[in-house]
Amino acid sequence: MNWDVVVENLRLYAQGAGLTIWLTLLSLSAAFLLALPLAFLRNSRSRFLRRSVIAYTTVFRGTPLLVQLFLVYFGLAQFELLRGSFLWPWLSSPLVCALLVFVLNSGAYTTEIFAGGLRTIPKGEIEAAQAYGFTPLRAALRIFIPGMLSRSLPLYGNEMIMLMHATSLASTVTLMEITGVARNITLNYYIQLEPYVAAALIYLALTAILVAAVQLAERRFANFLRLDH
Amino acid sequence: MLRLKLVFALSLLAAPALAAPLNIATDATFPPFESIDANGKLVGYDIELMEAVCKAAELECNIANAAWDGMIPGLIDGKYDALISQLTVTDKRRRVIAFSDIYSHPTFRFVAKKDAALHISPEGLAGKTIAVQTGTPMDAYVTAHYKQSTIKRYDTGSAPYLELTGGRADVHISYQAQIVHSFLKSESGKDYELVGPELTGKDAPEFGEGVAIAIGKRNTELVEKVNAGLAKIREDGTLDALNQQYFGQ
Repeated sequence: MNWDVVVENLRLYAQGAGLTIWLTLLSLSAAFLLALPLAFLRNSRSRFLRRSVIAYTTVFRGTPLLVQLFLVYFGLAQFELLRGSFLWPWLSSPLVCALLVFVLNSGAYTTEIFAGGLRTIPKGEIEAAQAYGFTPLRAALRIFIPGMLSRSLPLYGNEMIMLMHATSLASTVTLMEITGVARNITLNYYIQLEPYVAAALIYLALTAILVAAVQLAERRFANFLRLDH
Repeated sequence: MLRLKLVFALSLLAAPALAAPLNIATDATFPPFESIDANGKLVGYDIELMEAVCKAAELECNIANAAWDGMIPGLIDGKYDALISQLTVTDKRRRVIAFSDIYSHPTFRFVAKKDAALHISPEGLAGKTIAVQTGTPMDAYVTAHYKQSTIKRYDTGSAPYLELTGGRADVHISYQAQIVHSFLKSESGKDYELVGPELTGKDAPEFGEGVAIAIGKRNTELVEKVNAGLAKIREDGTLDALNQQYFGQ
């Protein structure tokens, strides 16, 4: 066993974990902000808006994340026109490409989760809001969004975990997050078990924290939906 | 009678294990040494060399494509019997795996855009981005000597060229023959050229002693057989013919 190699490289793992956490939190926040309005448009009366959102979620849920990442990172770089444009300083960065893809991908899943949550809000609550003369904004802030989020929490919690694990793909575009660190150690020390076990343990710990946070939020915000009390 | 049947069954189980061909892995992202042709077949200098060695040594070999990052660990774990993938012999690798006799001495070069006017030295490339395949002698070399440059590392031998043409990397370092065959001769490489001095194992220890076939550390029997095969193809002119065919030397 070569655990000393892992110990020697603990600093790299710490940096990798930092990047993983950063990628996860940033992608999650942006995907959340993207999905919030899209969930409403997904249920819009306008067929055009509804179909546009469905087209977006179908494309991003219908193709593998790794393929999306390669298309954006390697694919876009092949266009001379784009390389000369003002966007290039941004798109040439692997970090920006990875974030962009994670946000668009997770945003698609989150949109569908939230849109599903919206559809399960009881008619009575909506009618009550109308009866009280709520403006659309007030109804959204007091009824729709809280109702949607609390009902989506279990599914959304899963999506958060999936996204955190999906950030491991960032290593394929040179970002040294946890998986990238493990892979680098594998290639330089020729051992495979220990570096990946160490990576798995870090992911497990981070996931445990995330799960605890989601459970806390469920207890705080979605307790009224539980059947056993 | 039952015992006889059992012996028969056991011998059936054991038979394939005895006759099984050697598992030899290669990272087929490195033309002209190893790559996959349009029909999905492994081709290249190393592939032909390995087949010739196996034939000369009367070994049954099965060469298969494998991911670079799992090759040496796979050899250590016994998943593969040997590796042929332009593997340079270095002290670090000798500690964990065995090597056959060296069969070639590669030249390493930098490659950059024609009008880039880069001066190849640690100072000249300060602040520039160097693309390199992870865990290769080139990686070890730039990591040790080009500390003021940004080094981007990739899993395959082909990805650095995408980064070069994509404009994300200023310069790439690899085997000269690989740069010429897989990049400069192609349409996408027409604006690029070899830059800086020709580098070999004499210039920096990171480049190793030369290229050899890697074999499991305890498998001295296979090392001897492969060396015998190598000696044979060296004598009968097969190796010269192969060098002539691929590199015109």
